[in-house]
Amino acid sequence: MRDSASVTVKQQTIALIGNPNSGKTTVFNALTGLRQKIGNYPGVTVERKEGRVSLHDGRSLLLLDLPGIYSLNATSADERIATEILLGRATYNSRPDLVVCIVDASNLERSLYLVSEVIDQQFPLVLALNMMDIARKDGVHINCHALSKELGIPVVPMTASKGIGIADLRAAIAAPLLISERVREWTLPEPVQRVWKELARMLRQYHGIEEPAAFHEAMDLLTQADSIDKNSHRLAPELRSHLERDRQKLEFLGFDRQTMFVEGRNAWIRSLTTRAATRTPRAGASLSDRIDYVITHRVWGFAVFFALMAIMFQTIFSWAEIPMHLIGDAFDSIGHWVVATMPPGDLRNLIVDGALAGVSAVVMFLPQILFLFLFLGLLEDTGYMARAAFIMDRSMSKVGLHGKSFIPLLSSFACAIPGIMATRTIERSRDRLATMLVAPLISCSARLPVYALLIAATIPATTVFKIFSLQGVTLFFMYFLGLGAAVGMAWVFKKTLLPGGPPVFIMEMPPYRIPSIRSVALQIWERAWIFLKRAGTIILGASIILWFLATYPRLPEGTPSDRLQYSFAGRAGRAIEPFIAPLGFDWKIGIGLMSSLLQREMFVSTLGTIYNVENSKDADRVSLTQHMQDDVDPTTGRRIFTPLTGICLMIYYVLAMQCLSTVAVMRRETNGWKWPLFQVAYMTGLAYGATFIVHRMGTVLGFGG
Amino acid sequence: MTNSQTLTLSDVPIGTRVRIHRLSARPEVSRRLRELGLCEQAIVSCVLKGHGNIICALDNARIGLDRRLAGTIIVSPFE
Repeated sequence: MRDSASVTVKQQTIALIGNPNSGKTTVFNALTGLRQKIGNYPGVTVERKEGRVSLHDGRSLLLLDLPGIYSLNATSADERIATEILLGRATYNSRPDLVVCIVDASNLERSLYLVSEVIDQQFPLVLALNMMDIARKDGVHINCHALSKELGIPVVPMTASKGIGIADLRAAIAAPLLISERVREWTLPEPVQRVWKELARMLRQYHGIEEPAAFHEAMDLLTQADSIDKNSHRLAPELRSHLERDRQKLEFLGFDRQTMFVEGRNAWIRSLTTRAATRTPRAGASLSDRIDYVITHRVWGFAVFFALMAIMFQTIFSWAEIPMHLIGDAFDSIGHWVVATMPPGDLRNLIVDGALAGVSAVVMFLPQILFLFLFLGLLEDTGYMARAAFIMDRSMSKVGLHGKSFIPLLSSFACAIPGIMATRTIERSRDRLATMLVAPLISCSARLPVYALLIAATIPATTVFKIFSLQGVTLFFMYFLGLGAAVGMAWVFKKTLLPGGPPVFIMEMPPYRIPSIRSVALQIWERAWIFLKRAGTIILGASIILWFLATYPRLPEGTPSDRLQYSFAGRAGRAIEPFIAPLGFDWKIGIGLMSSLLQREMFVSTLGTIYNVENSKDADRVSLTQHMQDDVDPTTGRRIFTPLTGICLMIYYVLAMQCLSTVAVMRRETNGWKWPLFQVAYMTGLAYGATFIVHRMGTVLGFGG
Repeated sequence: MTNSQTLTLSDVPIGTRVRIHRLSARPEVSRRLRELGLCEQAIVSCVLKGHGNIICALDNARIGLDRRLAGTIIVSPFE
């Protein structure tokens, strides 16, 4: 056992673990407050969430929030990350100094499975019994004192949602670290025990794996059906042959290798809970169950789902308009002020037409993006998301995926990167890969500014069926197209590249909850901050570079349009024009398409910059939408941004892969370039093909005008 | 008791509590079920039957399963 004095010297790390839906995030927020940090990538939630906890004795410790897990037996990629950090296998993390395990008190028996596994790893451990209020209401009585004695670790009863017990948890964390001496209280049949011990000893001898981790590895090797083949390259040959003999021996003795450890643990847990807890079963259906009768109903369930989606998109478009105008006006007045105070010249043009125009075009869409995140956050926090997966499971299994794939797809409406990361909960790697491949087809929030600009510039603001605005319907259609393409392509991939029967659906349905305003507000604040930071750095920088590219080299004579064509950006746009002309796009759109490769919303800031450069002589500054509507082809005199061009561009943006961050994440998640490159190729092909067909058909039908 | 040997979770009427007798799904699937608490001796009930899948109750938790899988969970009546 390590002594507590030596651990206090270095930077201490606390790992927060627990089952999904045990209230881990609430505890994390309560302990850290606003002092938390999420993600390494711009605009995404990464698995690594950390914050600082200050204790009453003045120390401040690092708190690491791990993904929710049921056990340390990694089945899905999600669990693998948590397990690797806990076992100190991950390269970016040393073993935590203290583990706080959050347990849903109303599901004590099940939660103790993970607790027992962590105890075996000999961590200083604090057990936080959360949701005591629900447990009490449910007729569960837990004797915390008895439980603490049985487990040999501190047990803190709490109701984190109401702030009860947080101070006690802080105090328990601050107390000297003690490792439970009651390691491995649960028992195994004698032959299994012997084989296990011997294997752990050999792992230490041949591979230098330390004691608690060695037992875990040995258990993994003994239970997993395929670990010999999968891990054989890293096992010493002596060990490999020994393991083979052990497995045969256990099977001969009639032990089920897969279940012997789980059964041993569960038997111990059952006897423990009978000693430390009592439960008076409650009759009848709970409120949550009664809500489920409607929400998961085969008819009403879908009605509720589509109604929620319709409300979401309608509000994103209509409610967000007011703050959007305010932001636009604010940027306009800054522009006027700069024009009024600075002498004319290149520097003023750079600030007004490059920096301000580019940044304001993107920041305008902040309200819409926040509304989108608000809705997704509410769906998640109320517990609705799991129900959406549940009702979608049947439809998803028709294309060979299961309901769990639906959640990554729904998160992809915010951003494909958290969507791709959310696939980590999918057990089978083929299903996971199929989901990752199609996730970027879902319209993410970076596409929203593009759709919004194009809709405002090209789609007339009329109403259809008396209540829906044509613009709102167009937006809804684009989102729907992305979803349809994702589902369709998933079916194709499951039929061809990644064959396999429909996966089994097992998923916990968390109880319905009233979302905490604090937690939702925190999420929105994080999003807003990430978005603004990106606008202030990448987009600002890119807009300035673009201004130079669109201004130099200078043509001394000619119209503004001629000058733009003569510039570097104009030449690049001209160069790709032959490739995009069949889609109905001109060279200015080409410049936008090229800068979109950085990130999609760059299309908007690019058009903002190039139209301003072109029209910088104008006395009155007009909106970008107006510029686009006024833009005509100099040879034919036709408008560039017709409704057909708008639709074609939007379809292209729905289907094309134009996001370097997504490519990077795909590379990391699939460990290679093969799948990300395939994804770029198939999506670009799909986008080009579909846009070409729509443009052709539209022109033939006479919408080209 | 011959009848109860073949009773599975997918046959259980809503609201009836049963004891899990045996898991007969593929080993890795059974392991997953056990980790979620759906292990031998556990007492569960069926809360609702939906569109090709069911929700069962285990203590205070609700677990969604597809019907095929529920059909591999052998149960015996409790109460």
